[in-house]
Amino acid sequence: MIAVTPTATTQTVPPQTVPPQTVPPQTPISQATRPRSARPLAVSARGVTRTFGGREVLRGLDLDLGPGEFVALLGRSGSGKSTFLRALAGLDDGFDGVIEVPVQRSVVFQDARLLPWATVIDNVVLGLPPLEAPLAGLAALAEVGLEDHARDWPKTLSGGEAQRVALARALVRSPDLLLLDEPFGALDALTRIRMHVLVQRLWNRHQPAVLLVTHDVDEALLLADRVLVLTDGTISLDVAVDADRPRRVGDPRLVDLRSQLLSELGVDETAEGRSPADLPHPQLPNEHLPNQQGDTQP
Amino acid sequence: MTDLDVSGTTFGVIVGSEPAPWAGPDEAPLESRPAGTDSATAAIVGPTRVAPPLMTPPLMTLPNRATSRTRSRRLPRSLERLAGVVALFLAWELASRAGWISPDILAGPSTVLTAGADLVRSGVLIESLWASLQRVLWGMAIGIPLGTALALASGLSRLGDNLVDANIQMLRFVPIIALQPLLVVWLGVGETVKVSLIVLGVAFPIYVNTSSAMKSLDPRYLELAEVVGLKRFQLIRRVVLPGALAGFLVGLRLATAIAWLLLVFAEQINATSGIGYLMTRAQLFFQTDLIVVGLITYAALGLLSDGLVRTLERVLLRWQPGR
Repeated sequence: MIAVTPTATTQTVPPQTVPPQTVPPQTPISQATRPRSARPLAVSARGVTRTFGGREVLRGLDLDLGPGEFVALLGRSGSGKSTFLRALAGLDDGFDGVIEVPVQRSVVFQDARLLPWATVIDNVVLGLPPLEAPLAGLAALAEVGLEDHARDWPKTLSGGEAQRVALARALVRSPDLLLLDEPFGALDALTRIRMHVLVQRLWNRHQPAVLLVTHDVDEALLLADRVLVLTDGTISLDVAVDADRPRRVGDPRLVDLRSQLLSELGVDETAEGRSPADLPHPQLPNEHLPNQQGDTQP
Repeated sequence: MTDLDVSGTTFGVIVGSEPAPWAGPDEAPLESRPAGTDSATAAIVGPTRVAPPLMTPPLMTLPNRATSRTRSRRLPRSLERLAGVVALFLAWELASRAGWISPDILAGPSTVLTAGADLVRSGVLIESLWASLQRVLWGMAIGIPLGTALALASGLSRLGDNLVDANIQMLRFVPIIALQPLLVVWLGVGETVKVSLIVLGVAFPIYVNTSSAMKSLDPRYLELAEVVGLKRFQLIRRVVLPGALAGFLVGLRLATAIAWLLLVFAEQINATSGIGYLMTRAQLFFQTDLIVVGLITYAALGLLSDGLVRTLERVLLRWQPGR
């Protein structure tokens, strides 16, 4: 584990072999979501706060992720879920609080983000030591069914294929933590279903801890062991999804949970209901109207 | 062949999917349920529909490959363009032969052709061509690395940027041709002045385009580089340089055009060899045919070098979408 703090990046414990040490937080812990036991952790976030121009996007967020756990993080657009993921990825060091993450971690973004000037295989092995790269890259491409496209340019791929290459690029690094930032958001509905299948298969095989950021409740229920809802900068709901795999969209065992999540997200499912904007929901500030929030008013 | 009829009151939906050989049959249970049965999306949308009268609206037949007017052109486009050029030359030749244009004003195409053939036969044209080409090649051989090196210095470090960029952005607005007197004072009237002018003319567009391409590199790629843990050297080699390549090549095309322009200028001031010298001498004796031969040679050289750079672009940027 390494502790990512605003000021320093220090490697404290090798990942997964030793139970993680308790790192003294630099700011006071607000409150842990669950009692801290000796169970191994892949991610530990304590009191994470992130402010953009006076607006608190994350407010003392606490989160634990076990090794191999598949967790979905739901939230309305602008709720700060991508901000949190970027902090975990190490792309943003402007936060307060303490975050511990594995050294080996990979990110899949919403856009496949392939370098257009590099072939598919070169994109997959980007940054790997050149000796082990070609074989590992081809194996990873085979896992996502694209070994025949290894020498092609990214421009020849469809959206779904490009995202599969991005998955291969993430997996070839054998991550202990896989961060998925709305990776299926830009795909068409049919391709998305196939990607869900693929991601589950890859997760089964490699067993990384996964944090999936999404706004799709059905996707979260389909894939995750645990679903979190991010509201107002903190985790407002943390529920386990107990149904066995493989699951289906609209699984009857998950209907109640689905309703609960939707209402936590401020969505009224019934067609004759009012639109979410009309609903009185004081703890859900509309991020498009910053003036509704007290802290941004002059 | 696909056949489809949509009657007047139907709301038709076409559903399609890419074949997916990689999704094995073992995953079938997850896909077996159609996505449309999802409870939330099956809600009724909009008010109840009032059925319109069942009548065929006015129909038209769309033009297809066989009947489309835009496809059946009389001549290929390139042939038409060529015909325009040929017509111009014919008119020019006709006007010369009829005596409407005096040879002292402008020689006719056939005279120019004979003069050109004579020059080739005597070896003068080849000699002059080589003298001119050497100047351009030297100018580019020095100017391109110079511009690239400066762009790298300013693109890869903040210190380099602060030291290099401000100076170059200031000097960029000095017309290069206006530096000629100063260069003559420093370097005399030999080959060095001509090559130096071309070096400067080449280095600026290379620098400006390469460095701006490096600075406008998509930040998402820099993020990716950080996520996959690229070292600084790898970042430059894998991301920054290939990302700046398109800008460099734009600079290269501008640089070639400017190099020929400056060559013409330098050769007409004080030269004892080269195409420009050939033309200046012909000017003294009103040999308009030789002047036109010089012009055509310049044009051919410019066209050729532009074609070379275009080919280079096609090869080096073949990864770009839309190529």
